Amino acid sequence: MHCEQVKNLLNEYIEGSVSGVLRDRLQAHLDGCAECRRELQFMQAIWRGLSAMPEIVPPTDLHARIMTHVRANTRAREAQQRVAFWRWAGAATVAAGLFLMGFFAAQPNGVQAAFGFGGTRKQVEEASQPVQAGVFVRYREVEQGVRLSVLEARMNRKATAELHHAPGSLNETKLVWRGTLLPGKTVEIPLQTLLQNSSERVLTLWWSVEGQKRVLFVPAGYPAARIASIRLQAKLSDALRQLASVYQTPIEWVPNGEEPLVVLDVQDATLEDALRQLLVGSNYTPRRHSEAWRVVGQ
Amino acid sequence: MHTYDYSSDEILIERFKEGDEFAFDLLVRRYEQKVYQLAYRLTNNPDDAADVTAEAFLRMYNSLKRFRGDAQLSTWLYRVVSNVFFDFRKRESRHHHLPLELPTEENDEAMELPIEDESVDILGHALQEEQKRVLMEAIQQLPEYQRVMVVLFHIEERPYEEIAQILGLPLGTIKSRLNRARNALRQLLEPYRELFGIETSPTVGQAQEASDAL
Repeated sequence: MHCEQVKNLLNEYIEGSVSGVLRDRLQAHLDGCAECRRELQFMQAIWRGLSAMPEIVPPTDLHARIMTHVRANTRAREAQQRVAFWRWAGAATVAAGLFLMGFFAAQPNGVQAAFGFGGTRKQVEEASQPVQAGVFVRYREVEQGVRLSVLEARMNRKATAELHHAPGSLNETKLVWRGTLLPGKTVEIPLQTLLQNSSERVLTLWWSVEGQKRVLFVPAGYPAARIASIRLQAKLSDALRQLASVYQTPIEWVPNGEEPLVVLDVQDATLEDALRQLLVGSNYTPRRHSEAWRVVGQ
Repeated sequence: MHTYDYSSDEILIERFKEGDEFAFDLLVRRYEQKVYQLAYRLTNNPDDAADVTAEAFLRMYNSLKRFRGDAQLSTWLYRVVSNVFFDFRKRESRHHHLPLELPTEENDEAMELPIEDESVDILGHALQEEQKRVLMEAIQQLPEYQRVMVVLFHIEERPYEEIAQILGLPLGTIKSRLNRARNALRQLLEPYRELFGIETSPTVGQAQEASDAL
């Protein structure tokens, strides 16, 4: 057997697919030929090196990048998707416990505008148009104990926005997402990682659109308690976080000047009752949006 | 209360076909790491890898409704990634490769220095890192098809049969082309034998042989 023949068979030899007489002859050649042995060692070292390549850690924003790319390039299908989503949302509310949506708008009539997915072309072109935005939190149990949470933002015109996570105090925030929102486009910001890495029962998120700030208290679980007895005395943001936790219902707070100190002492109260009690004497009033609540200045 | 079983790809695909966007989101989560990893091996660049990954999932989104389940979803996705990568390379064809850079003679000297002190492990580690880097760069020098094969077989450890499915080629063709790819890789690595613990100089080899014989 010649060296060239042997060298051509080295890969097959390494993976063990050379057998019988051929293998014996190859082995005999290798035993007597140092150059071919070195060649074998070299190939083996290359095989080992390749299989020892370390795992690649993807960038933390990979999922958001993928979803943004997919959304941006499937606009033509969006109308269909909207129908599908709302059909799904309707079904899921009844059947599987979808559920609800945090929601805000800069204008009192923003509810319709936001649900209309972004206004008319004329509105869009008016840059002076006040920003109206809808933020939706969606949960779904996808496997036993595995929940998927996505925050969706939709706008009536082009606007820049930021989402911050405030794990401790409202003043210490971590940027989760920053980008430009376009009308007719949905931006999805997965909360999964935040929820997984957080021991909080309620995620506190700062949501800022062109400098207008809102706070979203997003519970880690599903709407749970319908009635609860609560006594507390706290700053408004802490009280709202408590309520979001107890009732496992998203609450959005649109800060309006100073943060008041609030007291609450209720028995067997619904979230609505609790919120109304809590806000008595303050400049805030609760508003219901689907199953979510929004606390806004009067 | 109706509960959905999300544990299998098939059910997620069915849900997606019915218009459930969450099913797609979950499929992306399930495979994004794998897809990114393959894309990274092929492009050797984090930004390009993220672009290839995003485009691959867009193609998945657009064609998942026609997915018949003849192959595993992962196999099908690998195929999509490979195709995106081929297209990506065509677009980037004006981009030319830099030659492998190392080791220069100065590097050789620098590497030999610490042997006499206690940094041997550090040197060993550095050599391993260097080996990985040289390997990755050599892979980048391979023609696209060979690169995909080498990465799928040797790094992602996919069996021949699956690679044949991914690339849509007969099994025999895969085996013979992969063999060619390995030999090409070996040629590219010839100047770096030492990094793989193999002596370079034939005279050293002969001397070793002579001492073996004694």
